[in-house]
Amino acid sequence: MPISLSARNVAKRYGAVTALSDANLDIQSGEVLALVGANGSGKSTLSKIINGVVVLDGGQLLVDGRPVRFQSPHAAKRLGISTVFQELSLVPQMTVAENIFLTREPLRGGLVDRGAIRQRTEQLLALFGGMFKTDLTPDTQVGPLPPDEKQIIEILKAISFNPRLLILDEATASLDSRQVQRLFELVTRWKEEGTAIVFVSHRMEEIFQIADRYTVLRNGQTVGEGPMKEVTSRDLVGMMVAGITAGSVVQRTRPSAEELAGRKVTLDVKDLRADGVHGVSFQLHEGELLGLGGLRGQGQHQLLLALFGDIPHSGTVTIDVTPVHFTHPRQAMEKRLALVPGERAKEGLLLIRSILENFLIPSWRRYGFPLRIGKARQEATNISMSLSLKMAGLDAPVSSLSGGNAQKVVIGKWLLRNPRILMLDDPTKGVDVGAKAEFYKLLALLSDEGKSVLLYSSDDEELIGLSDRVLVMHDGRISTELAGESLTKSNLIAASLGATQEALP
Amino acid sequence: MIRHGWRRLANQNRIPFAMVLLAAVVIINLILQPNLLEPGTLNGSMRVFLPLILVAVGQTIVILAGGIDISAGAIVSITNAILATQVGVKGEPGTATLIMLAVLLVGMAAGAVNGFFVAILRLQPIITTYATSFLFGGLALLILPSPGGGMPSQFTTFYRDTMPLGLPLAFFIIVVIMLAWYGIRQTRYGRYLFAVGGNADAAYQTGVPVNVVQFSTYVISGLMAAFGGIALTLLTGSGNAQIGDSLTLAAITAVVIGGTALSGGTGTIAGAIMGAIILSLLPNLISFANVETWWQTFLNAAIIVIALALPGFINLLRRRRT
Amino acid sequence: MSMRRIAIPPPLAAVLLAIVLFLLSGLLPNGFGSNPDIATSQATNIIRLAVFLGIVAAGQTLVIISGAEGIDLSAGAVVTLSAIVTYSIVNGNNENVLLALPAALVVGAAVGFVNGLGITYLRIAPLVMTLGMAGVVTGLIIVITQGSVRGAVAPVMTQVIARPLLLGIPGAILIWIVFGALMWFLLQRTTYGKNLFAVGTNRVTSRLSGVNVTGMVVGTYALAGMLAGLAGFLVVGNTGVVHIRIGDPFLFPSIAAVAVGGTLLTGGKGSYWGTMAGALVLTLITSLLTTMQMPESVRRMVLGGTLLIMISIYGRQRGLRQ
Repeated sequence: MPISLSARNVAKRYGAVTALSDANLDIQSGEVLALVGANGSGKSTLSKIINGVVVLDGGQLLVDGRPVRFQSPHAAKRLGISTVFQELSLVPQMTVAENIFLTREPLRGGLVDRGAIRQRTEQLLALFGGMFKTDLTPDTQVGPLPPDEKQIIEILKAISFNPRLLILDEATASLDSRQVQRLFELVTRWKEEGTAIVFVSHRMEEIFQIADRYTVLRNGQTVGEGPMKEVTSRDLVGMMVAGITAGSVVQRTRPSAEELAGRKVTLDVKDLRADGVHGVSFQLHEGELLGLGGLRGQGQHQLLLALFGDIPHSGTVTIDVTPVHFTHPRQAMEKRLALVPGERAKEGLLLIRSILENFLIPSWRRYGFPLRIGKARQEATNISMSLSLKMAGLDAPVSSLSGGNAQKVVIGKWLLRNPRILMLDDPTKGVDVGAKAEFYKLLALLSDEGKSVLLYSSDDEELIGLSDRVLVMHDGRISTELAGESLTKSNLIAASLGATQEALP
Repeated sequence: MIRHGWRRLANQNRIPFAMVLLAAVVIINLILQPNLLEPGTLNGSMRVFLPLILVAVGQTIVILAGGIDISAGAIVSITNAILATQVGVKGEPGTATLIMLAVLLVGMAAGAVNGFFVAILRLQPIITTYATSFLFGGLALLILPSPGGGMPSQFTTFYRDTMPLGLPLAFFIIVVIMLAWYGIRQTRYGRYLFAVGGNADAAYQTGVPVNVVQFSTYVISGLMAAFGGIALTLLTGSGNAQIGDSLTLAAITAVVIGGTALSGGTGTIAGAIMGAIILSLLPNLISFANVETWWQTFLNAAIIVIALALPGFINLLRRRRT
Repeated sequence: MSMRRIAIPPPLAAVLLAIVLFLLSGLLPNGFGSNPDIATSQATNIIRLAVFLGIVAAGQTLVIISGAEGIDLSAGAVVTLSAIVTYSIVNGNNENVLLALPAALVVGAAVGFVNGLGITYLRIAPLVMTLGMAGVVTGLIIVITQGSVRGAVAPVMTQVIARPLLLGIPGAILIWIVFGALMWFLLQRTTYGKNLFAVGTNRVTSRLSGVNVTGMVVGTYALAGMLAGLAGFLVVGNTGVVHIRIGDPFLFPSIAAVAVGGTLLTGGKGSYWGTMAGALVLTLITSLLTTMQMPESVRRMVLGGTLLIMISIYGRQRGLRQ
């Protein structure tokens, strides 16, 4: 059954913060609409209004031409609106099948029909057949699965009742490129079958590959819409962030192999092993910006955590000339290592505490006994100014900041300690274009100052643009090293994928 | 399929632990007290254990859905106070039955009060039910300021001596509970319990009526506490407005020993029942072991702490080894 | 946004509530007199009584701020144990006081340390672990005392703690003021305090920022135990006699005082001066009800009701629907 949905002048406030002021959107059966905008532009809020998780304060939502007011996500679901949530809506203790059919369990004689659930789950899993690294069955518990597989289950859950409208909110963020391509094949098929699809993403390539039309949000307002054929990515970015263009990424001159060899080695890793890391060796030089690439979930995350002493590991790690074995991040920190973790809200910030305290968590000891609060505040003020942090004040909770500004706080807390080796785990994930450009400048500046930077990124452009060398990881090992002339986008993609193909039977 | 089932069981890992512990306690107890499993002794023990078992079952359901009910013991006390004062030793069997049905409603109403504050007003479960435990406990004292009252002897005798097929009455009640639980687990409501306890936000986004589910668990806990109160009153045959106080924390301990995580989302009723039996057998075992009187409380508490610590300790060793 | 919500910080609200209650009580028959002299002495007396609760609640404040469902149910038993230790070491001699104080602190800290180890290394839920330890400590008390508490309070303790010390103000109150200042200093002007708020807010972030989370948690439970030990020591000086249940009545109010004082029950946010205000409110209500000769049942219900109202105002959790 076809559907048409329109949002008209939708507004939503959270206390003093206006998330949406005048959002408009139209979508119909058989089309893919890209909903784009910088972080904090209101994309997620708008999708949550459409699926009934958030109540709107003003404006109107029309489904099939009739105004609706959803009292719960359930009400939206009854009209055939389904969502793939960015933060996932899975219950870790339950199985794949139980999760997919939660609230829609087929019943037999009033009881849940387990056989039917298992069978239908098998069919759904077959849609992504061959895309799972683990041996996944309907009875597998969801909790311990890797992020990409959880994401796929979330997608299957959303489509399991043949929705008329499907919202994909950053659904590709944790998928690798093969999985994304499979998803796009499926999206194309669903579109042909008459499903309307809202595609929320930061990735321009994907938007241009899959979407038919676009709607751009900026500061809670719809500032542009139309067919994809009529725009370029430069146009879209221009609409998203007035004043900043995509060309503002820094240009670096890469040091040659000889030049690097002449520099001091700050971090020397030999045969590092940890959960998910199966023997990694490399050297990081002074002033070098070393990239870590490869498909998602190939051990990059664990490698950084192991180097920072957060997870148990074996192998030889040498800093300058001293062998070290960190068993707690504090030890790594004292050797002037720093880690900007991958999950900002869960691993990098104390959301309900002030910006001041977030800056100072690793550093309080330095301010003596009793703490010299005045000095601490002064130093936090300085760092927030040098990062041009946009905030109401140092005492405001860090949760009041946008994604990009919050990430600045995470980096700032380490800069306050003047680290020599800075490790970053996908730092620009969920950061808008404007803030990304600032990050690139900052990272370039830090490495020019002589700091060693180890950067993992899921964004290939970013790695190419910033890194002096890139180590491509596959299955917990470094499969390829790209440097100098060989460091190109096609080589990087080939190296990431090539490794995967080798591993296939 | 079967292999998978085993793996799940091994993953949960704490039900077998409760089984092993129960077996150990029973065997040691048997050595010290050889007639433990004779029908008469068994019935004598089980009828004493039943109130705690009932409260622990209610508590498990609340904890599964991510809450906790610190007021369950106070609800037991209210039930006891009402029965002892309103029925009395000379009560008519007809009115006594009616009042027993009425206290079940009182228990559910008390549970609904908890449910209102926790599920509807969204207050912290621990502190809220701690507060309501004072409300309910005060109410019980208001009804029965000093111990007294009672139940007609035909009721207490029925509770004491009924042994269908030569087995304790409590066994049949446990079987009924287990069957009911097995049935509930096969319904959508059963799935909702686990989903709400596992990840309430995800459950809400999926369309599970989280508030209703949470509310219902407190009503069930109130109902089970009322059943526990009836059993306790039939057991003692008298009224005491503070009789249930000690049951709350014992029930929570039983639930945890039975392998249910306080964080919600995983656990079993069978584990809680085993946990309750373990806790109830301990003092028995200790007194038969000829331990000096002054040491008994300490020994009992120390064994409980060790039982709570053991799974964590095994995990710790396992982590160290890898 | 023309209308701005006027937000009173919870601790201030608690203080205001205490003052209003006190003034209103002047209007009641049997209430605190409206004669200024009597009112002053009544007020002094109530504050003096609040001191002991306030110091037990200090430890409770720390563990609740430390997050992860932090709570210390062993505080009451530890107060009793350290009171007994103090009582028997002092045994009427002034010179033994200097030995008794560290002994009371060490005993409390030891129990808290075991709590911390169980909670961190063995991953036992704080509610269950501290409950289990409460049982162990109670058992220990029975072993030590064998039913009768021997000892005597030293004159100097009564002098310093219970009698007016300076400008007619009882020593206990002066001690509390200094103690309050130290607690503020600990939470706001030391690395420990800053790390405690960090650990209570997010343990992963804290660890990845170099905070020794395990050490912080173990240390906090040990410190909380030590503060309960201190409270036990002071209680002896106040009452002059000790019995084996002397600490129990402090447990519920110590948790309630923290909640009434506006400390976030999920951790990461709170203050000790809020807890002091909470202790005052609760002590005031209790004294008022006692003065008005209310029965135990009413006292309990009023306490439970007050807590319920306070957490209904401040303790709301984030709603599922936004």
